Amino acid sequence: MARTLMRFTGVGGQGVLLAGEIFAAAKIKTGGHGLKTATYTSQVRGGATVVDITLDDDEIFYPYANDGEIDFMLSVAQVSYNSFKGGVSEGGTIVVEPNLVHPTDEDRKRWNIVEIPIITIAKEEVGNVITQSVVALAIANTYMSAIDKEVLVSTMLSKVPAKVHELNLKAYELGEKYAKESMAK
Amino acid sequence: MSTREIISTGNDLAAIASVDAGCMFFGGYPITPSSEVMHTISDLLPKVGGAAIQMEDEIAGVAAAIGASMSGVRSLTATSGPGISLKAENLGLAQMAEVPLVVVNVMRGGPSTGLPTRVSQGDVAQAKNPSHGDYKSITLCAGSLAECYTETVRAFNLADRFMQPVFVLLDETLGHMHGKAVLPTVEEVKAGIKLRKTFDGPAEEYHPYGVEQDEGAVLNPMFTGYRYHFTGLHHDKNGFPTEEIETCRKLIERLFHKVEAHQDEIDSYEEYMLDDAEIMIVAYGSVSLAAKESIRHLRAEGIKAGLFRPITLWPSPVEAIKKHTDRIKKVLCVELNIGQYHSEVQRAAGRLDIDGLFKVNGRPLSPYEIVNKVKEL
Repeated sequence: MARTLMRFTGVGGQGVLLAGEIFAAAKIKTGGHGLKTATYTSQVRGGATVVDITLDDDEIFYPYANDGEIDFMLSVAQVSYNSFKGGVSEGGTIVVEPNLVHPTDEDRKRWNIVEIPIITIAKEEVGNVITQSVVALAIANTYMSAIDKEVLVSTMLSKVPAKVHELNLKAYELGEKYAKESMAK
Repeated sequence: MSTREIISTGNDLAAIASVDAGCMFFGGYPITPSSEVMHTISDLLPKVGGAAIQMEDEIAGVAAAIGASMSGVRSLTATSGPGISLKAENLGLAQMAEVPLVVVNVMRGGPSTGLPTRVSQGDVAQAKNPSHGDYKSITLCAGSLAECYTETVRAFNLADRFMQPVFVLLDETLGHMHGKAVLPTVEEVKAGIKLRKTFDGPAEEYHPYGVEQDEGAVLNPMFTGYRYHFTGLHHDKNGFPTEEIETCRKLIERLFHKVEAHQDEIDSYEEYMLDDAEIMIVAYGSVSLAAKESIRHLRAEGIKAGLFRPITLWPSPVEAIKKHTDRIKKVLCVELNIGQYHSEVQRAAGRLDIDGLFKVNGRPLSPYEIVNKVKEL
């Protein structure tokens, strides 16, 4: 497998960090290498946050995604979308939450922009906004086929409390369903 | 060596390493980007009968850690650059009174409060001389997740060996980076623990500071029947203040000589693809990760670059640096500061024509920035 670079962006407090940790851990479980780095501002809430995920079969040294090499980005906040979209490779996929992120017409020409209401799905269909990171995880993996679903889901479940396993499984399935629908369009 | 695999962050690994190395006390105050060291060790220490205290500020944090060490236990504090500035006075006290201590500094942008959440290597010069006066710093610098663990373990052993504070430098990138670390087993770490010397003869023959010029003080734990004085003033063999000319000279010379005479026990560095290298990059900490990646790219283009990575920053591995700079003409020092180690490489090499690539805006140096700079040389 060649190197997979993914970027999740949001604002501090939304919980975008967890999805990155799950991806890295799942890749390591399969015998490969995975790294997650997070960059955030000194604002406790509301500052632009970016999580870079690097997955590779070979050893990874530099833990950040190089600008222009990112295959997939997911964004749930306009401020961080604006700051970090430049890192995505020409023609790469950017999934945005359409209620919070509004890409320009130029962006739509440059990248494959996909609109999935991640937060609405988490809040209304799953029933808990906090599951948005698992919805995002499912969308990213469906688009990138980065990790075997079974490994990714079991890694995810090992990182959330047992009492919310059902809820997070539902979030994963919904994320996958929406991603597949958007891919079929 | 048998190994185990842990998926974790640099900060958590420093905390886990401390407990595995027998640390029983943490005193500190939370500060970004080092707070997770405190969070994690606060959870771990009570489970092994140790204690972690969040003090009222950075100064009290190191003071508590020094106190715990005086009572005989391995002791840790962790902070970032602004915290070291506050702790400086007490770090000088620990140097002077020869109290072993491990100080983890997860570097962020400075000076002052600087860039709290962003990466930097701006505290390299500070680690050499955090307080006033003459002494010889021992400073280790992790360059991978695994080394956040192994260098912390090594720091505890060196602190007890040389009876002084030992710095472990991490940076924001390493501290927060999350991935796999291949580590020695706990059994192996435990088997490698070398505690400080103690004196078990008659109390009246005990002179904690009356040691050879190349040795550290022999400080028995307080309250065990061996009485001595503890001070930041120049002191005699029993620790009592003195201004006697020869005693004062010998004390400070010993603080230097105890380290210099045994530098072979402290030296540590990595030579990466240097054998046939025509260009040598010098980098440490998280920057060395970008440097290694840049060497992959450069070699793919037929440019023979290699990396010299000091792991012990202070005292610097002068001879190893010189060995390479005598042979390799093009040398590039890459740092997230404006050349704090560059001048040390110049000094070791005895050459002023060492190039530099420096960045101080809180952002990491990318492999491509290094590739481009190397091509300009």
